[in-house]
Amino acid sequence: MVNYFANLVTVTGISMILAISLNLLIGYAGIFSMAHAAFYGVGAYVAALLALHYTAELTLAVPLAMVTCAAASLLISLPALRVRGEYFVAASLGLQVIAFTVFEQWHSVTGGLSGLIGIPVAELFGYSLASPLAFMGVTIALVALVALAVICLLRTAFGRDLRAIRDDETAAAAAGKNVAVIKSIAVAISSALCAVAGVLYAFNIAFVNPESFTLNLSVLVMAMVIIGGAGTITGPIIGAALIQCLPAALSWLPLPPQNIGYLQQILYGLAMVLLMIYRPAGLMGKARSKG
Amino acid sequence: MLLLQLLLDGIQSGAVYALMAVGFAIVFGMTRIFHYSHGATYLIAGYGFYACTSVFGLPWYLSVLAAIVLSAGFGALVQLLVYRPVQRDAGSFFTVFVASFGVGVVVENLLAMMFGSGFLSVTSPLSRAQPIMGLYISQLGMIIVGTAPLIFLALNYFFDRTSVGLALRGLADNPDLVTVYGLSAKSLFLIALVLGSLLVVPAAVFQTITAGLTPSAGHRVMLISLAATIIGGIGSLRGAGLGGLLLGVAESLSFWRLPAGWSDAVTFLILLAFILLRPSGLLGQKVRV
Repeated sequence: MVNYFANLVTVTGISMILAISLNLLIGYAGIFSMAHAAFYGVGAYVAALLALHYTAELTLAVPLAMVTCAAASLLISLPALRVRGEYFVAASLGLQVIAFTVFEQWHSVTGGLSGLIGIPVAELFGYSLASPLAFMGVTIALVALVALAVICLLRTAFGRDLRAIRDDETAAAAAGKNVAVIKSIAVAISSALCAVAGVLYAFNIAFVNPESFTLNLSVLVMAMVIIGGAGTITGPIIGAALIQCLPAALSWLPLPPQNIGYLQQILYGLAMVLLMIYRPAGLMGKARSKG
Repeated sequence: MLLLQLLLDGIQSGAVYALMAVGFAIVFGMTRIFHYSHGATYLIAGYGFYACTSVFGLPWYLSVLAAIVLSAGFGALVQLLVYRPVQRDAGSFFTVFVASFGVGVVVENLLAMMFGSGFLSVTSPLSRAQPIMGLYISQLGMIIVGTAPLIFLALNYFFDRTSVGLALRGLADNPDLVTVYGLSAKSLFLIALVLGSLLVVPAAVFQTITAGLTPSAGHRVMLISLAATIIGGIGSLRGAGLGGLLLGVAESLSFWRLPAGWSDAVTFLILLAFILLRPSGLLGQKVRV
């Protein structure tokens, strides 16, 4: 029972990291990325490969995954962010599809559809994190660190630049800000933070395969951010908790198990539509001003 | 010979892609709505066609008619029930996109609940490939390659010669001016949505008969339409058509050298190359870089 609870907290924590890092883009930079699951996957595969071939040390796996994801993100953001917002949506969708294809087809490295199995237990400074409670603790600490990193980042001049670009790109450019560079850095930071979630996922499940990093997951994370409230600190955290707990709540309903997944998706799809009509800022966001 | 066969297959799927891409480009170009539920329209037309032929046993022409009515109705409903309320006080690109996305998610999962998540297809003698001079061509393939140009001619006429078509093009250029001239932007939006939705019907029927449908196919339809629109140049309908054709041919030719799993990646590598090197696309207006 304790282990079940610890695992639920860990899984929710991982979702929170995903949502917080995506919120940096959607909520603060006004960039719409559909490739979050791809970066999550890259982080997970980096951690899995490192653990299988070299070491399961988190202090090594986390930075390595972060650097890899940040570098990978620059490949797409530098060209795509020079032009209008629609192009980045398209480019990130493309990247998501390409990443899935690579995970699935590059058998010698990723193990193809069957994935990588038998990832060893994570270690922190040499101590094994075999107990679910210990791993949960590390996850909570990392969620707090990621949230703190985003909060601090937003207080710097860079954070103000980001919001300026989101509110009026032309004005920000006129004020001498290099919009494309600032946006690309934001994408790199967001991808790096997303990689943290990937590392935790790989060690928690001890198994990675492409099925976990599909477009559907990108959509799910987006739903967490939007339902919670893009552009707020608490929004994505609440959104992630809500969406992670929804399947557990739905399982009480008298429904055939295969329909629960569909019903869950229908509910959050519906929530997205209704929120956009009645409360576009999300649950935690400010209500639309009248007038 | 293999190459020629692949080229021929590519033109077939390219014709289908071109139609759905032009449908997306009409909505996106004229109304600036990022119509993600274009994929959902495709699913509704495809599953509608499937249900009519295989479940209710209707003849094919009635089933096609049902698919046409369903997709046009769905396009109109989405515009009236979702886009119009979202845009009532200047909804941004982002809010409309999220709402559209939500609609797509709901439709995909409702259909999965009703029809299951596996492949469904309608078998028809038309889809059987006949050998002609060493190449395999199905009658259905010939029909689709034959009808696509006719539809494009009709669209050309519509946008160049009719007043509604001209008004729609005006809407793309300057929505405020259109209203000043006394035309209703609301009804033009509705027309654009219905017209765009109608154009996925051939694609949906063709795919249902040849490759089969799954509820998750909507995302792919959307991805290809979007990719073709950008490759062709945002705002250019002819460009979107060309882009669709190009993607269909490229995807098919990729089977020549690459394993089957890579064809989607080829599509998006082409897209990324265009975004990198020529963001204005084949026929689009110059985009600021």
